[in-house]
Amino acid sequence: MGSSVRLDRRAVLKGLAGVTLSLPLLEAMGKEVTETPPRRFCAMYTANGMSLPKTTNGIDEWSWFPKTEGRGFEFGKSTEPLSPFREKLSFMGGLYHPNGTKADPHLCSDMWLTGAPLHNPKPGMFNSVALDQVVAMHTKQYCRQPSLVLSIDAGVGFLSRTGTISYNQEGKPIPAENNPRRVFDRLFRGDRASLATQREQLQRRIKLVDAVLDNAKSLNKQLGQSDREKMDQYMTSLDEIESRLTASEKWIDIPIKSQDYSQLNLDANSEGEPHEYYRNMFDLIALAFDADITRSVAFMLNREDGMGVSDTFPIKLGLNRTHHSLSHAEDKEGQLAFAKYDLFLSEQIAYFLGRLQQFQDINGSVLDNSIVMYGSGASTTHNPTNLPTLIAGGANMGLKHGTHWRKPNTPMSNLYLSILRSMKIEEPSFSDSTGVLQDSVFTQV
Amino acid sequence: MNDKNRRFDRSHILAVIAIGFAFLIRSGLATAEEAPADPASAISTTSTAFNEQIQPLFQKYCVRCHNADNMKSGVRVDQLTATPEDRQLFLLKAIQKKVDDGVMPPAEELQFTTDQRRTLNDWISSTITAARARDTKKNGSVRRLTVSQYRNTLKSLLGLQEDLSESLPPDGISKEGFTNQSHTMILSPLQVESYFNIAEKALDLCIVDEDKKPVIQNFRMDLGTAINPEPCPDKLVLGANNFLLNNPDVLVTELKPNKPFAYEPFFMRKEYDFIEGYVGNDTIRAWKKFNSIYHSVFACMRGSPGYPKGQAFQVVPEGLLLRPAIPSPEIFGQSDTYGPMANFKISLRELPEEGNFRVTVRAARYDDSLLLDTESPAQLSGDTVSVPVAELTSTPHGTVFIKEAGIYQLDVVSSPESPKDLFSLTLGDRQFAGQLRKLTPYPSQTNDEEKSKEMVSAFALVRLPAGELKISARHGDNSKLSRLIFNRVDTSHELAQRFSVFERRSPSLGVYLGLRRDCGSTLTQVGQPKRVTSSELEEYVFEGAINDFPNPDVEKDNVNYLAGIREIGVRSEYTDGRDMPRLRIQSVEFEGPYYESWPPATHQNIFNASVIDAEPAVEARAILRSFATRAFRRPVSDTELEAIFSVWQKSYASNGNHRQSIKDALLVVLNAPQFLFLIENSHTPEPEDLDPDELASKLSYFLWNTTPDQRLLELASKNELIRSLDTETERLIGDPRFEQFIDEFASQWLSLDKLDVVSVDSKRFPRLTRDAKTQLRQEPVQFLRYLIEQNLPLRNLVQSDFIVANEVVANYYNLGNQTENGFRFAPIKHGQENLGGVLTNAGILAGLSDGRESNPIKRGAWVARKIIAEPPDDPPPNVPRIKEDDGTQLTFREKLEQHRNQQGCAKCHGGIDPWGFPFESFDAGGLLKTGANIDPHSILPDGTEVKDLNGLKTYLANDRIDQVAFSFMKHLACYAIGRSLTYNEFMFLQEQGKNLRSNDYRMHDMIKFVIKSDLFIKK
Repeated sequence: MGSSVRLDRRAVLKGLAGVTLSLPLLEAMGKEVTETPPRRFCAMYTANGMSLPKTTNGIDEWSWFPKTEGRGFEFGKSTEPLSPFREKLSFMGGLYHPNGTKADPHLCSDMWLTGAPLHNPKPGMFNSVALDQVVAMHTKQYCRQPSLVLSIDAGVGFLSRTGTISYNQEGKPIPAENNPRRVFDRLFRGDRASLATQREQLQRRIKLVDAVLDNAKSLNKQLGQSDREKMDQYMTSLDEIESRLTASEKWIDIPIKSQDYSQLNLDANSEGEPHEYYRNMFDLIALAFDADITRSVAFMLNREDGMGVSDTFPIKLGLNRTHHSLSHAEDKEGQLAFAKYDLFLSEQIAYFLGRLQQFQDINGSVLDNSIVMYGSGASTTHNPTNLPTLIAGGANMGLKHGTHWRKPNTPMSNLYLSILRSMKIEEPSFSDSTGVLQDSVFTQV
Repeated sequence: MNDKNRRFDRSHILAVIAIGFAFLIRSGLATAEEAPADPASAISTTSTAFNEQIQPLFQKYCVRCHNADNMKSGVRVDQLTATPEDRQLFLLKAIQKKVDDGVMPPAEELQFTTDQRRTLNDWISSTITAARARDTKKNGSVRRLTVSQYRNTLKSLLGLQEDLSESLPPDGISKEGFTNQSHTMILSPLQVESYFNIAEKALDLCIVDEDKKPVIQNFRMDLGTAINPEPCPDKLVLGANNFLLNNPDVLVTELKPNKPFAYEPFFMRKEYDFIEGYVGNDTIRAWKKFNSIYHSVFACMRGSPGYPKGQAFQVVPEGLLLRPAIPSPEIFGQSDTYGPMANFKISLRELPEEGNFRVTVRAARYDDSLLLDTESPAQLSGDTVSVPVAELTSTPHGTVFIKEAGIYQLDVVSSPESPKDLFSLTLGDRQFAGQLRKLTPYPSQTNDEEKSKEMVSAFALVRLPAGELKISARHGDNSKLSRLIFNRVDTSHELAQRFSVFERRSPSLGVYLGLRRDCGSTLTQVGQPKRVTSSELEEYVFEGAINDFPNPDVEKDNVNYLAGIREIGVRSEYTDGRDMPRLRIQSVEFEGPYYESWPPATHQNIFNASVIDAEPAVEARAILRSFATRAFRRPVSDTELEAIFSVWQKSYASNGNHRQSIKDALLVVLNAPQFLFLIENSHTPEPEDLDPDELASKLSYFLWNTTPDQRLLELASKNELIRSLDTETERLIGDPRFEQFIDEFASQWLSLDKLDVVSVDSKRFPRLTRDAKTQLRQEPVQFLRYLIEQNLPLRNLVQSDFIVANEVVANYYNLGNQTENGFRFAPIKHGQENLGGVLTNAGILAGLSDGRESNPIKRGAWVARKIIAEPPDDPPPNVPRIKEDDGTQLTFREKLEQHRNQQGCAKCHGGIDPWGFPFESFDAGGLLKTGANIDPHSILPDGTEVKDLNGLKTYLANDRIDQVAFSFMKHLACYAIGRSLTYNEFMFLQEQGKNLRSNDYRMHDMIKFVIKSDLFIKK
C-alpha cells in the first residue's frame, strides 16, 4: 500500500533538509513542475472605462475599440502601441456582467473578476471568488505562491470602492501590495525567520494530519462489513492534503532560479512617475512568472471614482484633469485627453507583453504560456456593458489571436470559464457563466 | 396503435393500470403458503426459465434501445438476471407497468404477443415476490455530517456561538431533494482541508490564555433633543446623502462595564489622518487631521427620506422615534439603495475583531397618535374644543383644557393656500408630526369672507387625559394656520375602535450589524426581533458572534474617511404597513467581546473543574477522555484515547506548552471520522440491531439535526433507549432543537429553495418583494411544524380550514386584519375557498413558476413527486423547451397540450400535467388569477375529473390519503436514514403504513412508525 512509500519519502526529505541542491530538488516536485510547461494567468484592471468618444466630437480614431471587427481590424490611436503584438492579442467586444447592470455602477471594479450579484448579496457574503483565485487554487501546488495580488494602492480600499480586484473563496477581499520593494523582498528574498516559521507551521500541520490518518486507519480496520466508500474518500483526501503540505514544505528548500534583476528600480513607488512605477511592477510580475514563483496575478492599475493616488496620474502626465473627471468628460478636449490616458496605459501594457515575450519556457515564450487579460468594468464611465477587454498570450493553451471578436450581451463569466478551460482547469462553471465562448479566440475549451 | 386511438383508449388503459396495481399489491402481500395458488407462480424463477423464456423476450423487444451503449431514458434491460438485485426491482416493476399499459415497446416498434406479455408479467410478479422473500444484505453505513449538522454539532460541542461552517462546500442534493443522503455526500480534499481550518479556528476561539486580561469595548449612544451639552463643533459628513442626526442630539459615552474579573477597557481611536472621503464622494486628495469621537461614531439615518405617512423618524427630548422600516428593493436606478426607511444606524470605525457581542437597546412603545388620512372630520359637535392659532403659537406654549378623558380627533383648520410643510404638534410631553391631507372646505360659522374660505384636514386620533394640557403647534411659518379642533370621538364610533386597535399594537425592535457601502444594505439581523409592549423604557438585549456579521476586511491604516465603516442598525420592524405606534429609542449600548466570566465558558467547557490536575499528563488524559466522549457521541475506547493522548504527548514533549498540546490533540478529535461521520458499524451481512449509541445519534440527527443530548446518551448507556422510543420521540419533538429538523426537512422535502432562486418579475408581482419572499418561504415550514406540534391528521397537509401565518404572510393573502401577531406564525381560520394546506402556499406556487407565468408542468411534477410519491421519469435529453413568447396567442396550457400531442411527449406528461392543471387558477405570485381564459379543469391519471384545485385537494384528502401518507412517510424515512429506500422498505411503508389510517394518519403516529420500523432501528 502507498503509505509505506509515503513514509519513506518523508524520511528521505527530512534527511535532505537544509541541503541546497537546485535541480534534483526541483525534480522532487514531480513532473508537473519540471516537464509540463506552466499555465499562467494575469488580470489587469483599469478603472472608469476607456475612451469611446462621441461621434459628434469627430475623434473616432481615438476610440479604444477598433472600428471594424474580425481579423482585418485596425488599431485606434490609443491602442497603437499594442500593434507589434497584433498576432498575440485580441480585442473582445460585447461582454458584460449581467449582475453589473443591476448594481450601482461604482461597484463595477468590485465585481469585475467575480461577476457577483452585489445588488442582492447573500447575507454575510458580499462578493464571490475572483477568477485569479480560482486559478490559484488549481495552480498553487506547482509553484511557491498561490497568487500575487497587486494594486496601485495597498490594502483593500472598501466595499463599493474597492482597492483590490481579488476576492478569496469566501468572497473576502485580498489585500493588495503596491510597493515594488516589498513585493520583491517577499517574492525573491524570502527571509530566514519567516521561512522558519512557515516550515514550523507546515510541519505541525503535517504531524496532525498524520495523527488523524493513523486514527482513521485504525477505525477503518474495525468497521467490519460497513460501507467503506466514505472512509476511502476521507483517507484519500487526507493523503492528498498531506502531499500538498509536503510539497509546500519542499518549496522552502528549493532555491529560486537565478535571474537578472539589474533592470529593477525598487525605489519606484506610486507617488512618483506613473510610468516608472508601472514598469517596475510589470518587471516584477514577469520575473515572478519566469521563476515560476506564482502562476496567478491580479493587478488593479487604478481605482474607480476618484479614489486613491492614481486619480492624479493624468495630471502628472500633463492631461490637466483627474482620471475620474476625464472619464465623465463629454467635450472633445476632455474625451481626447481621456483617450490619451488610454494611450499611456496601452504603452505600459505593450511594455509588459514585451517582457513576457522575452522570457523563455521550455516550449516557447512566457507570453505563449500565459493568458493576459486587460480591461475595465465599464465601457465608458458608469456604463457596465460592452466591457473593454483585451486578451493576450496563451498561444500554447489554444488561443488564436489577431482579431476583434465581438458578440453583444455575452456574459463576462463565459470568457472567464473559457480562460479556465484553456488552462485545463475543469471547473463546471464560473459565477453566473452560461457556458464557454463559442467561435472565439479560445480553441481549446 | 396510433396516437389518436391511444387517447381514445384511455379508459381501457386506466382499467389495466388499476388491475395491475391491485395485482401488484396482492402479489406483494402473498405469503409462502398462498403462493402455489397464485397464477404468477406458473413461471419458474430459476435461471433456466429466465434464460429460456424471459431473456429472449428482452433481447427481441427491449435491448436494442436499453443496452449499455444506448441506455434510452437511462434504462438498461440487458443486465437483468433471474435473481435481480434490490435496486433492480423498481425497474422490474416499471417494466411490468409499461408493458402492461402498452407504452413499451413504443407503437412504431415490434409488439409482444398477448401470450408473451402475460409470460413476462407473470415472471416479473414471481421474481419480485421471490426477491422480497430473500434477506437483503445489510452492511451498516458511514455517512458524514451534513454542513448544517456539522455546524450545529460543533456549536453545541464547543458552546460556540460563531458559525464557522461557511467555508465548507455545500452538500449535494439527492433525487428526493435531501442533502443528507449518503450517495450524494462526497468528500473532497478541499472539504477535509476546510474541516482542519475550521477546527483550528474554533479551538483558537474557545481556548484562551487565562493569564491575559481580555480587552473589552463598551460604549453607549444616547439620543434625544439637545442631550449633548458639548456637541461636536464640526459639520459631519459621511458620504453622499449621509443624513446624520444633529450633533447636539447625540451623545456617545465610553464605559467600563462591571465584570467579575479583571479586564482592560478598549477606548476607540479618535485621532485620524485622512487624505480623502471626508467631504462625501467628491475627489479631494489632501491630508486632514481629525480628533473627536464624533468622527469615529456617527448617528446616521441614511436611507430614510420620503416616508409616505408622517415622518420616518423624529428626535424628541426622550429619544429617537422610529416608524416601521419600509423595505427598499435597493435596485440601482429604481429605488433607494441605502436601506429601508426609517433606517437608524450607528456608523462607527471600530468594533472587536472576534468574539461575541451584546447590543442593549433602551426602548419603549411611544404613546402615539394615529395619523389620519380620512376624507372629512368625524364630527363637529359634542365635546369640541377649538384652539385658536394665537394659543397654538404662544411661547413657550399654550394650554388647552380637556373636559373628559378619551379619544379625540384633531382637525387642523388653515387657509386654502396651506403650505406643504409637515404639521407638528406638541401635546403635553408628546410630539406628533405629519402631512395635512385631504383638505376639505371648512363649514363656515362666520360671515367673514376670509374665514369662509378656510379648509379643514383631519390630522390624527389621540388619547388624552382630562385636564389642562400644554400645547404648541407649527405649520410652515404658521401664517396660514387658523385653529386646531379637538373632537371627542364616541367609543362606539368606527374611528375610536380603529384607534383602540392601534394603541394596543406593539412595535417590533430589530437590531442589525453590517457595514457601510453605497449599494445595497449589508445589515444582517442579530437574533429575532423583540416586541416592545411597554410604554415605559425597558432594556432589550441582542447577542451574536461578531464574525457572523459582515466584516469590512479593511486594513487599519486605510486613508479614506469612508473606508471600513461598520454599522449597528436599530429598526422598528415593518410587517405590512399597518399603522403602528412609534418605537422610542433612548439609547443603544454595545459591549464586546462579551464575556460572562474569564476564562470564558468555552474554555471552561474543556478545562473544567473535574479534569484539572497538577500533573499535566493526568489532566490531559482526563480532558481528552471527556471531550472525545462528547465529540464521538459515545464513550471513547481505550485505544482511541491512547492515540489521541499520544498526540498530546508528542506535542508536549516538543513544545512544553500544555494548552497548545491540548489544542493539537483536540484538533485531531475534531477531524476524526468518529466525529465527522455517523457510523453504524456492522459485523455480519445479516441485519443487526443498532448499537444503543448509534441509535441515540440516529434519533437526534433525525429529529434535531444535531448531536444527542445527555439524556439520550444515558438511556443508550443503560440500553433503555430502544424501549423508550415513544416517549423520547415525543420529548425530542417538544424540544426547541426540533426546529432544526423542521427547517431542514420541510425545505428539502417541499423544495422551498426554488423560491430563493426564482427571479420575480417585479412589475407583475410588486408585492412579492424580497422580504415577502423570506416570510412566504417560512409559511410551509411553520405549517408543517404546527401540524406536528399539534399532532393533527395528515389530511390538513392538503386541505385545512386554517393557514399558519404572520402579519406579512396574512397580508399577502389579504388576511392582514385577521392577525396582530407581528412576525410570529400562528394559525388563522382563513374562511376562504382557495386557501388551506400547502398546495396553495404562495411561496410554493411562486417557486414553481418562472416568476412571470404559472407553470403546470413544474407544479404537476411537484405534486407527483412530493405529495403522492409517483415521480415522473426524468425528461429525455434534448427535449425542446416550450417557449412562452412564440408569437402565438395560445395560452401556456394550450401550448403544453400541443407539445404533449407530439410523439414521445405524451407518455410522461400524462403523469405530470393533470396534476398541474388544477393550479392554473393561481398566478406566478401564488394568488388567484383574475380575468378570463383560466382553465383549472383536469382529468387525473386515474380518470377522476376535478374542476379546480379545491377539487384536487378534496380528492387527495379523501380518495388518495393513503398515497399522501405514503409520500410523507417515504420522504421522512429517506431523510431519517440518510439514503433511498430499498424495494422492500418501500413496499413495507406502502403496505404497513396503511394501518395508521384508522387513527387519521396523525403526525406523531407516522413519525413513530418510521422510527420503530426495521428500516430505522436495524443496520
